[in-house]
Amino acid sequence: MDMMVSTLQQQRAVTEQLRREAAIKRIPVSSAVADIVKFITDHEQEDCLLVGFSSQKVNPFREKSSCTVL
Amino acid sequence: MAGGAEETLAALLREAEALKARLEEERQKLNDVTLASVAERLEAVNFPNLKPRRVLKGHQSKVLAADWAPDKRRLVSSSQDGKVIVWDAFTASKEQTFSMPSTWVMAAAYAPSGNMVAAGGLDNKVTVWALGEEGEGARRRTVATGTAYMSCCVFAHSERQLLTGGGDGACALWDVESGQLLQAFPGHGADVSALDLAPSDAGDTFASAGADRAVLLWDARTPHAVQAFDAHDSDVNCVRFHPGGDALASGADDAACRLWDLRADREVAAYRKEALLFGVAAVEWSVSGRLLFAGYHDHTACAWDALRVSRVAVLCGHEHRVSAVRRSPDGTALATASWDATLRIWA
Repeated sequence: MDMMVSTLQQQRAVTEQLRREAAIKRIPVSSAVADIVKFITDHEQEDCLLVGFSSQKVNPFREKSSCTVL
Repeated sequence: MAGGAEETLAALLREAEALKARLEEERQKLNDVTLASVAERLEAVNFPNLKPRRVLKGHQSKVLAADWAPDKRRLVSSSQDGKVIVWDAFTASKEQTFSMPSTWVMAAAYAPSGNMVAAGGLDNKVTVWALGEEGEGARRRTVATGTAYMSCCVFAHSERQLLTGGGDGACALWDVESGQLLQAFPGHGADVSALDLAPSDAGDTFASAGADRAVLLWDARTPHAVQAFDAHDSDVNCVRFHPGGDALASGADDAACRLWDLRADREVAAYRKEALLFGVAAVEWSVSGRLLFAGYHDHTACAWDALRVSRVAVLCGHEHRVSAVRRSPDGTALATASWDATLRIWA
């Protein structure tokens, strides 16, 4: 009986969670993707790992001498 | 009574199945384009040569977690050796070392103030240290005490609150000063492996990943998950918000990284290759969110063009699994941590 009650409680929680998820408002993938693309395009120039440094002097981790790494 | 309960249970099960079908249908209906088709007209990423710049040596065993300080120069790391190290990444030297009561320190985080670090693991706790300005004796305090191991932790926008996740399948928000539990977030059906906060400064949104193959989205004000994404085929090891804030990347033991859009409420891209067989332990974004970095169990890390869904660079150097990948706060460098006991800085 206790088992029954706990299974019931678990299932109630699962169903309630699904009800909440089903109530979410969604937008089409096309407009979601357009927003992602826009954010990236707007910030690409600040992205050093993407576009590199304007000069290696700006790179805080540049090598100060010509030693080989490793 | 038992009959009534059975009937209720059957009704709940029926409703759950119907809801699942409806969710799937609704998500599919809005799936009008693929990311790769939209990105086709964008220029390909001309990937600059990301070079290994520093190797941080000092741990005696697997490095399990790493986090940058807001000064873009210091890092905290934790290891299987039971040590937590604060590094100066510029000079590749250790600034402070803290010993933990147990091995396998799986969680480590730097406070956004830069004045505190937190770490925990098999001791079922998260401990914070107030860092002395000159490196003198650090104050130590236990903040979070759980019933299972701690796998991840992150300061929630200030050094006053800490979010943790662990082996009990729950996330939890703690008050750093008092050590009190503020809110528990049960929801994962198995161990929580990773946590990430939404990028907005004051937001209450965070995401968690778990061994139940799910990625969950939470509002820290309520104990129920707001959204659930469950399309990985195995344990999810990592989750990171896209810098735009409306999408998440996750990585799993199924060797795939996936991009989830929160407003479309579904997966919008999967990053995988037949040649990649090993699990993904860590994911990270570049500042713009164009590059998705991933650390793999096959000892490599790589960079994906997130839009064109293609791999653009492979970072080789580690001699064991890559366990953590973190971008410095200003986006000028990438840190990788590995089971080979080192951390590497790439820039």
